[in-house]
Amino acid sequence: MMTAFETSAASAAYDRLASSTSGLSRRTLLKWATAAAGVTALATLTGCATPTGLPGPGTLTIALNRSLVSLDNKLNQFDAAVTVQRAVRQGLTRIGTELTPELVLAERFELTSPTEWTVTIRSEARYSDGAPVAVEDVAVALEMYRTTAGSFLAGFFPEWPVVVPLDEHSFLLRTEKPLPILDYLMANILITPAAANKNEELQDGVGSGPYVVASANRGTGNYVLARNKNYWGEAPEVQNIQVRFLPEESSRVVSLRSGEVDVIDTISPDAVDQLKGLPGVSIETIDGVRINQLFYNFRKPAGHPLANPEVRRALSYAIDGSALVDDVLVGSVVEATGVVPQRLTGAAETGSYEYDPDKARSLLKSLGVDDLELKIIWESGEFASDTQIMEAVYEMLRAVGVSPTLQQFEPGGDISAWRQGRAGDWDVLGNGYASPTGLAVTLLQGMYAGTALKEETRDSYHGYVFPEITDIIGQASSEVDPVQRQTYLDQAQQAVWDSWPCLWSFAPKAVLARRDRVEGVELGPNGSYRAADVTLKA
Amino acid sequence: MLNYLLKRLAQSVLTVFLTVSTVFVLVRLAPGDPAVAYAGPLATSEQLAAVRTQFGLDLPIWEQYLVFLRQLLQGDLGTSFSFQAPALQVVLERLPYTITLAVSAILLTTIVSVPLGVWMARRADTARELSANVVTIAGQSMPEFWTGTMLLTLFAVLVPILPASGFTTWGGLVLPTVTIAIMQIALISRMVRREIVVNLQAPYLTVARSRGVAEHGLTWRYAMAGASIPVLTALGTRFASMLNGVVVVEVVFAWPGVGSLVVRALETRDYPLIVATVLVTSVLSVLVQLLVDLCYPLLDPRVRLGKVAAS
Repeated sequence: MMTAFETSAASAAYDRLASSTSGLSRRTLLKWATAAAGVTALATLTGCATPTGLPGPGTLTIALNRSLVSLDNKLNQFDAAVTVQRAVRQGLTRIGTELTPELVLAERFELTSPTEWTVTIRSEARYSDGAPVAVEDVAVALEMYRTTAGSFLAGFFPEWPVVVPLDEHSFLLRTEKPLPILDYLMANILITPAAANKNEELQDGVGSGPYVVASANRGTGNYVLARNKNYWGEAPEVQNIQVRFLPEESSRVVSLRSGEVDVIDTISPDAVDQLKGLPGVSIETIDGVRINQLFYNFRKPAGHPLANPEVRRALSYAIDGSALVDDVLVGSVVEATGVVPQRLTGAAETGSYEYDPDKARSLLKSLGVDDLELKIIWESGEFASDTQIMEAVYEMLRAVGVSPTLQQFEPGGDISAWRQGRAGDWDVLGNGYASPTGLAVTLLQGMYAGTALKEETRDSYHGYVFPEITDIIGQASSEVDPVQRQTYLDQAQQAVWDSWPCLWSFAPKAVLARRDRVEGVELGPNGSYRAADVTLKA
Repeated sequence: MLNYLLKRLAQSVLTVFLTVSTVFVLVRLAPGDPAVAYAGPLATSEQLAAVRTQFGLDLPIWEQYLVFLRQLLQGDLGTSFSFQAPALQVVLERLPYTITLAVSAILLTTIVSVPLGVWMARRADTARELSANVVTIAGQSMPEFWTGTMLLTLFAVLVPILPASGFTTWGGLVLPTVTIAIMQIALISRMVRREIVVNLQAPYLTVARSRGVAEHGLTWRYAMAGASIPVLTALGTRFASMLNGVVVVEVVFAWPGVGSLVVRALETRDYPLIVATVLVTSVLSVLVQLLVDLCYPLLDPRVRLGKVAAS
């Protein structure tokens, strides 16, 4: 029951509200709601009425796991990015599927003296704007790659060659010391008109490749390539290539399954398992150019058990490599039988890992190693199924009386400081290293050619400094005679293997999944393929 | 009114400035080295030093902050390390996608949740409301990654009528919108229901009822007007948070919005991009809140912006 005062107040409130809502009547509200509903329904219907994102008959859609960012490779070169970058820009050479150099813009690339290569650019080679590829463009390209801060190639060129022009199309590439792998290295230098080149990643698409950039959105990572009408070579069959950035593997897998995307790459064993046997989907696999390792810390003091190669070898007997390959990695990798992937040119088989936990236990005991504690560190995503591998290794080590601890770092975290021993001590690091040249010597130089000078700045590969091995790798790098070079390479690889640098290592296969309408995809060991060779079935 | 507006704008500028400054300092105190992210884990000390010098990362934080402030006054938020482009430009390239998704989701939420909440209020404590309650509680309980994955499996794989990822056609907007809206509808409709029920019991509604106003009019014209301010506030807050990026939904549907951009920027320690994203999204959030506040007098004339309410 309301009092008179309450009744009067409520009545006043009602009157206020009745007058105040005169501008916002029920009818007005309903009108607004109807209009909003109409807009939403229209948008939805428009969306549903258009194609569901399926690529057109002349369009190849590929999804990348990392954003392309640009169509240049000064900072950035990975798997399918190579496919896309080389569809627009080309090098003098390229690394073929057999991991040997093939001529592209050059019609001649020949070692004419120990420190000189003679190169001739194809007279018909043209950029998409019709301008010819010139000698100056090569000189400027080398300079730009050399001076780009953070250039990923800097570490692979022991010395940058100097361009000495001979005539309109020919020139010498001169070095101070012999550089017999220059034809491999130059495959990574993409040529751009000199005036348009800069010592940073280029954002536009002027190149000599079979495609030109029709549209680009760096923010979203979506690019559309169209056939280059001025292409100097045989015109590709596919009219357009749509490049999409889908960072999550699950999104790439679903998009491939639904037919929205034609090709995806860099997929995990789990994803391969999901896609295998699906109608309309094929999986391509090839042995890769990357090696993944559980690498020992070589910065241990002399008395530490891990400073003894016999202890390092004994620990490896605890690791059941076959179980890891078959059960955890579902056959997506090959257990290492050398210190570099066997697919690489110049690789040598130097031994194999053996699983014998009893032997591990007895060897450790005979070496006086009791209650060994091992700290294993790695960064998430360093390789596929990294966490599962580490957890399995943890159990295998515990089974032989070792006490491991695992420490996983998030991407972008501090693992680099740890690698260099600046943030904390560790014993085993989960790590990977690829050879962009397809050569064993590139990996050997990067990982095992440490020097005391490099170690001063902690730039050696986790403290791996063996001067005698560094010397042999140096000889292999500059040896012009291929037979002698291979002899040096064999010696170096055997010496590295005998130093027992890894608890275990494996080489992942390059994997790609495609819709069956896509043909002509010849997957290379570096995870890329030639876009111009691709055809689409009707 | 003008004074109030100017005061609120000044407050907003201060809020954005403090937010951006805090983020500027905090990201630099977090572990990780942008030079390593930029040049790769195998870069030599010399290469890393060159990268640090190039981006001014070798300067003390206070000096980096002064440089940042100077650039900010010129409208320059620096160059993104990972995109090699002006950080603001990268964010602005992504922003339309975020705004499209947020507008679409908030529209769907409003259109469904308000009538649903009213319907539930008018049938409060009945069996029919109970069944609606079960549905809304279920919607509220389902995490977005699960809802999104289920919708994706159903409508992009099993019955492929909608795109699975990205925003290449308008159809690509449907699944992410519905995924976001399901949880928001559940939350907002329950709120509308509560507010309407409270308002329907208010004394002035009794007076209105005694004057012969129909139940339908009581609900929509009077109770809804009373409930509109808290509901609008809730919708505004949710819209503002959507503009900051709906990270989970963006990841599930590979939506190229600012949410996934900021995650990537954090992973690569891309300081300029992190700061640019925070700046843009905080400006948007503050503007939305301001707009919501400006709407209050339109919904309830008793509200006088910038004045203490008379008791």
